[in-house]
Amino acid sequence: MYPFRRFSRCYLILMYKKILAAVNEHLNSEVSARYALLLAGKANARIYFCSIAEDGLSSKEFQAAEQAVKRLSLRAQQMNVKADCVLETGDPLEQIGKIVTSESIDIVFAATRHEDVEKRFYARTVARKFSLGLSCSMALVRVVHLGHVQPRTILVPLKAHINHIPERAYFTALMAGAFNSNIHLFHITKPLTRFFHGEIHLTPLEWESRLPTDISRFIEYLNRYDVTLEKKLVPGIAGSSITIEAAAKKHELIIMGASERSPMNSFIRGNPVERVLRETTCDLIILRPRQTIA
Amino acid sequence: MKINSLTKDEVFRSLVTAETGLSEEEAARRLREFGLNEISEVKKKRLLSRFLGQFTHFLAVLLWLAAFLSFLSEHLHPGGGMLTLGLAIVAVIVINAAFTFIQEYRAEKALEALRKLLPFFVKVVREGREKEIPAREVVPGDIVLLAEGDKIPADARLIETAALRVNHASLTGESEPLLRNHEPCSGELVESPNIAFAGTTVISGSGRAVAFATGMRTEFGRIAHLTSAVEAGLSPLQKEIVKATRVVASIAAVVGLFFFLLGFAMGRNFWENFIFGIGITVALIPEGMLPTVTLALAMGSQRMARRKALIKTLTSVETLGSVTVICTDKTGTLTQNDMAARALWADNTVFGVREAGAGTAREVLLAALLCNNARCIDGQYKGDPTETALLRAARETLGDITAARLCEVPFDADRKMMTTVNAVDGRRTAFSKGAFEKLLPLCSHVLVKGTRLALDDAMQAQASDAYHALMDRGLRVLAFAQRTLDSEEAEGARGEQIETDMTFLGLIGLEDPPRPEVPEAIRKCHDAGIRIIMITGDASRTAVAIAREIGLVRGNPLVVEGPEFKRMSDRVLREKLANKEVIFSRMTPKHKIRVVSALKDEGEVVAVTGDGVNDAPALKRADIGIAMGIVGTDVAKEASDVVLLDDNFATIVSAVEEGRTVYENIKKFITYIFASNIPEAVPYLAYILLRIPLPLTIIQILAVDLGTDMLPALALGSEKPTPGIMKQPPRSAKERLLNFSLISRAYLFLGPIEAAAGMFGFFWMLNRGGWVWGASLPASGSLYVQATTACLTAIIVTQVANVFACRSSRESLFSIGFFSNWLIFPGVAVELLLQLFIVYHPFGNRIFSTLPLPRDAWLVLIPFAVFLLIAEEARKLVQRRYVPPGRR
Repeated sequence: MYPFRRFSRCYLILMYKKILAAVNEHLNSEVSARYALLLAGKANARIYFCSIAEDGLSSKEFQAAEQAVKRLSLRAQQMNVKADCVLETGDPLEQIGKIVTSESIDIVFAATRHEDVEKRFYARTVARKFSLGLSCSMALVRVVHLGHVQPRTILVPLKAHINHIPERAYFTALMAGAFNSNIHLFHITKPLTRFFHGEIHLTPLEWESRLPTDISRFIEYLNRYDVTLEKKLVPGIAGSSITIEAAAKKHELIIMGASERSPMNSFIRGNPVERVLRETTCDLIILRPRQTIA
Repeated sequence: MKINSLTKDEVFRSLVTAETGLSEEEAARRLREFGLNEISEVKKKRLLSRFLGQFTHFLAVLLWLAAFLSFLSEHLHPGGGMLTLGLAIVAVIVINAAFTFIQEYRAEKALEALRKLLPFFVKVVREGREKEIPAREVVPGDIVLLAEGDKIPADARLIETAALRVNHASLTGESEPLLRNHEPCSGELVESPNIAFAGTTVISGSGRAVAFATGMRTEFGRIAHLTSAVEAGLSPLQKEIVKATRVVASIAAVVGLFFFLLGFAMGRNFWENFIFGIGITVALIPEGMLPTVTLALAMGSQRMARRKALIKTLTSVETLGSVTVICTDKTGTLTQNDMAARALWADNTVFGVREAGAGTAREVLLAALLCNNARCIDGQYKGDPTETALLRAARETLGDITAARLCEVPFDADRKMMTTVNAVDGRRTAFSKGAFEKLLPLCSHVLVKGTRLALDDAMQAQASDAYHALMDRGLRVLAFAQRTLDSEEAEGARGEQIETDMTFLGLIGLEDPPRPEVPEAIRKCHDAGIRIIMITGDASRTAVAIAREIGLVRGNPLVVEGPEFKRMSDRVLREKLANKEVIFSRMTPKHKIRVVSALKDEGEVVAVTGDGVNDAPALKRADIGIAMGIVGTDVAKEASDVVLLDDNFATIVSAVEEGRTVYENIKKFITYIFASNIPEAVPYLAYILLRIPLPLTIIQILAVDLGTDMLPALALGSEKPTPGIMKQPPRSAKERLLNFSLISRAYLFLGPIEAAAGMFGFFWMLNRGGWVWGASLPASGSLYVQATTACLTAIIVTQVANVFACRSSRESLFSIGFFSNWLIFPGVAVELLLQLFIVYHPFGNRIFSTLPLPRDAWLVLIPFAVFLLIAEEARKLVQRRYVPPGRR
């Protein structure tokens, strides 16, 4: 566990000052940028609405993207958020990569495409290229429900071993603060089994006593941000349990970490993130944090 | 902030659309991004992989290994009979896999039923023009046109309405039409009057709406997702069978390996030891157990069907017997759903309805008669049960009264009241009926003995006390009011203009009588240690009163109301559920899944009843989902494990009794099957320890396990319930199917007697043929073959006695009735006929390596059967005398 002084130091230092939202001709990219905008408003950060027209993009599509950037820019103005609009042509990854480096962007928001979700393990998708290729943190947004303009309940599924805990807690708390939402932490663990007894049933309280250390640390960090949270630890299969929990409790947004399983590992053991992406009934943000404690 | 709280322009901005709709190009782009507007199934294990999974569990892997070794030894050491063994083992694996798969397989049809509730075509506005498109092509941002009779294709925010009423029955179970509007409002989407939901129907009026969620993202899709993705997990019996097979397979493997090594130590050669090792493993594995369990469950399900509980998944038969909590609806399940007006309160007096023909009471009945949409046609009352009850009471007391209806403000689930304006005695009078708490605030006066008085605090308190008193009698209470209108007021007046400054008339209490058999069924549940939790939409007091009347609660139950429930955290909910007597009131079906999940988290085995579309997730989540056969929707029926053909709670209790009986019977035939494993294993011990040829071949073991034992075991599965089965608490989760008492009875008591018979038969036959100890005994000689046949026959003969012994574990065979289970006799007859075929038919001889036995060989074996029966009766007598009944 971190000593308190160190803890409070990273709380102070860890901040998003510059946020980039990738916008294209699709509605879901605009909705994803709205999440980024609200986050920027909460973090008092500068936002970059960035539309990169790939080769072969029709003029109508280019115009649609341009209109989206204009709408977002206007909205930012109304919210008193400093915004820059970038309209470029070329390879999106390359161009955005350049902006990230030149402007010292802290986090990039991009929407997943329907075709991304259809592909196994996200292979050869723009989202995957962004996720792996950019040097800053990345929030991939899957937009599925346009009725929840500002989600009131956020489901945060957590693994037993979590990296970049301070940034994850910071991001989650910022989102909850931006929407004035409640956070529901959710950890799926392997069922407890004995060879001759099969599965051993534990009550929720008994499960909670087995909370992994990283999750306890995550909660400690979250508690620094004055957010309302509930936690739940249940045995089951991660992917399906998350979507069932979200649907049953009517959560309006899921924030979870990016998958760290290789394609081979995913093929053998399955990929919970991929399953949630495909089956979620509410919006989903997949966070790949890259900030380190200063 | 949600879309319901936005203004029309904000909705357009949020969804990036306009009054003129989307362009075709944008619609196509959104279709690509958001997918088709359709209900799709959550990706699950394919049928083939589920079937293949039956070949890879622990027992199957062990058997595969044995089969592989058999084929290998046949290849390396041909002619040793190992090919037959290998094939027999593979057959066992396939049979077990097929039976287990059949037991677990269930076609998922709930989604098909859901899909039928969505429309095929829909009218939208695109590029400023109305056009009809397939409903599956609707995208977020589309302007959808709604007209009477339309099914709504997507969740949509209303932007224009003209007296639009929708029916949410498919979503909420609420059949009353709901008036919709397009004004911004706060609160939950599902409760917002400016939202139209996919799968619901426009009853009247028209409107325009902007789609904001399509396909699986709609509220309907959410139910479909839960219905499709939620899995109840393994049933208690399946878990027990997994544990049992692991125990048995481990014992078999360890014993096989031990004696294989022992044989080596005693100097036998590899192949002899190998055959021996495989043989003892096969002997100790009860190959017939899984098929017999499946068939016993199938027979149990047929018996339940005769008791009006239709079982859809076989394992549910036993799960019903393990149930510790039943979450049940009230109306129609505990009660008859046959409303009758029982009491009328007016002039601060409570009347019987027949006594209420004069004064203010008459005015109350007049309001009940005129503010009513039920009809009496040829003496038959048609309409909503509450309205028909009111109409019947009013007509029977007042006679036929006609008063032209000038207009109506229909019932609305949000307003919880309705109003009609009628021409009565030349005057226009508005009559209202509805929930007391909704109607009273609209009244400024009260009618007392013909005089219109101001409705002061004292009068309000009187009315409120009367309201509570009627509810405490278990009555559903409706309030009535009236107002005389000016002639111009009635013309084109809206609901809120008419329903003001009204005169409060009085109350009518309606009774939905409990089903007569329910109190007895509830008493049985209490005796059986099963908790019953009532989940109802009724008010708390009515729910508690009914619960008391039927004996559901005795003390002061904990009542959780819907609004409180919604705010409650899971932890608090679990604490509340720990109370002995809990009632959930003012609840909607969508809340059930949370109650069920919380109970399951605490380790309860939960049965839940349901009938609506949004009951489906809870029905799937529960250990046993019970759908109503008469009033239930197809979706609920498809999502359930059991369908009640009579919608009656008492049927659930009968099914629980049957389920408990099935579990007891499974233990009976497992004792029977396991007992025969000892006489199958002992010949192998003799083979290695006494250095004699094997007294029983592997194929003969399989003849017992998969042949002669099967039908008698099934007959044991049809034993009648033991008296007092519903007086025991539910089976503890810690109680094992293969407990010490069962294993010791089978392996240490019944089994050794049978083993003695088998070995006696073997040696008696050898002795009769002139064999003396130490003389050579060729394995191909007829004397040896006859001796193995005698050993097999001894096992069969003692198993005949064993089937009678296993009919009870404690009671004397003669006290339960020798002939009380007639199926035993055909079972035994078939067992004996099979043995005769094996012993005397040349084809049987060839398959099972047997030879005909002389008649006296049978006669010397019969005393062993008699001895087994007498010994069992003695054991039971000792148990009855010295072991208390509760101890297992």
